[in-house]
Amino acid sequence: MSRTKIVLAGEGGQGVQSIAKILVEAGYEAGKQVLYIPNFGVEQRGGVSIAFCQIADETIGEPRFSKGDIIIMLSDRAISRCETYVNENSTIVYDTSVCTIKPTVKCKQVIGIDANKIANEDPSLGARVFNIIILGVLLEATHVLELSDIKNAMEKALGKKFDAKPELRTKNYNALDMGIKLLKEQQALV
Amino acid sequence: MVNKLIKEDTKMFLTGNEVLAYAANAAEAEFMYGYPITPQNEIMHTWCKLLPKTEAGFLQTEDEISAGFSTLGGILAGKRAFTATAGPGNVIMQDAQSMAEMMRIPFVCAVMQRGGPSTATVIYAQQETRLTCFGGNGEGFRIVYSTAGHQDLYDYMIKAFNTAWKYRFPTYVLADGYQGKMREPVMLYDPASRGISMVPTEKALLGPGQIGIDRKSVHMRNTYNMEEELMEVLEGYQKDYDKMAEEVAEYEEYKAEDAEILIIAHGIVARSARTAIDELRAKGIKAGLFRPITIRPLAVKPLRAAVSRAKQILFTESANGQLAQMVLEKLYGLNTPYSTLYKMGVGVTGDDLVSKVESMIKEPAMI
Repeated sequence: MSRTKIVLAGEGGQGVQSIAKILVEAGYEAGKQVLYIPNFGVEQRGGVSIAFCQIADETIGEPRFSKGDIIIMLSDRAISRCETYVNENSTIVYDTSVCTIKPTVKCKQVIGIDANKIANEDPSLGARVFNIIILGVLLEATHVLELSDIKNAMEKALGKKFDAKPELRTKNYNALDMGIKLLKEQQALV
Repeated sequence: MVNKLIKEDTKMFLTGNEVLAYAANAAEAEFMYGYPITPQNEIMHTWCKLLPKTEAGFLQTEDEISAGFSTLGGILAGKRAFTATAGPGNVIMQDAQSMAEMMRIPFVCAVMQRGGPSTATVIYAQQETRLTCFGGNGEGFRIVYSTAGHQDLYDYMIKAFNTAWKYRFPTYVLADGYQGKMREPVMLYDPASRGISMVPTEKALLGPGQIGIDRKSVHMRNTYNMEEELMEVLEGYQKDYDKMAEEVAEYEEYKAEDAEILIIAHGIVARSARTAIDELRAKGIKAGLFRPITIRPLAVKPLRAAVSRAKQILFTESANGQLAQMVLEKLYGLNTPYSTLYKMGVGVTGDDLVSKVESMIKEPAMI
């Protein structure tokens, strides 16, 4: 029985909930059991935004879990809020170009990537696809779904926008590939 | 009549709030009254989004006091109306809810619990358990279904309409912000395909014909002059309630038959208990679950039987023992020792329960 527990955390507006929705939609369409809880405060913008996602082969019991298999931290506040979801079996991914602190909690592995910087500097990407890079990272780190599952879910969510502006599709797909590449590079270093 | 959207089995991936709107439509609800409060807003949003297809009605009132009373008004006018609320909204809607008890109005309300007291959090809690069962200045003549996920939300929202219209007591679907906001797969269906026939909507007032000639006058009282007069009516209600209780009380057991440690939990916390029980059983610890589905009225006989069989009880809630208080009253005379794991306004996880049960094995609870 396999179940992957994912925590995605960042500042409100970074697109954490958007990629969580794409992820679970992809899981659902791929025939997996999925459960997603968004968690945020009363603010319209700002504040720490957390998505708890589970993808499993069998029926999911608990909606909230204590410790995640992979915790993605996209801001300093996300790091301090989410260390509680980490144990010795967890992998942490954090963005070194956004965060000024490093996760210090004991875990299996800490992976730092500079997705935000790359998104801003690479002309084939752009600041707005930062979260999609993270989605690529997550896909490569967990292997719970296929790249094609994610692309199908993105087409379902954003297909109309993509059709109106084809360069958006290219940028989003580039971002996914970039995320996968970044994680592969980091894992090669370990 | 409204247009029903779900004509055949349809698997969907929805939030719980969306599920409730679809369920109300499947239950032939004609009108929703409501006032926005997180985490129930999307029930209203979804209901409204579907209006062009359903041809049902919606009114956003100025607050929950008005939403509650408007719902009663809609029902008295012969519409299958309902509402939904949460947190402080549930508090100020109690006046209308009490009126529904007094006048035996088939009021249906979905409650998506959030943290309390007062504004607290918009996220999640089980802190409206007592309020939903016993709020208002009355005796709690209410039926409260506590759901544990999206399939429950669909099944019990449909059932709530039938229970309310059959027995004429206010009926609730008690869920929470997790269930409202989370997304998981759910099977939507036409109730008829499951052999469920909907209790028809009858006009309480404004029936056909002329009063005194074609029909009797209807006198629905909310005010009584004499103390004894009131008590006589309420004793009748209590009798109806007790008779109904045996028919509507529902519960679920999971590996409870041979459980040495019996977890008593309701709603979404019961799902975490299932996760914990599977882990504990794998370690050779005989844990089980008793989950009241109707938390009012409680299924007392099976509850007492399960508790009698167990060596220890564990109450767990995202509140400070609100269900436990109601359950313990029904366990009078039994002496099974119990322990508690209460997290006020915070989700209880499987891990929380595994370590708690393990500690109860090492250091058993005392009477």
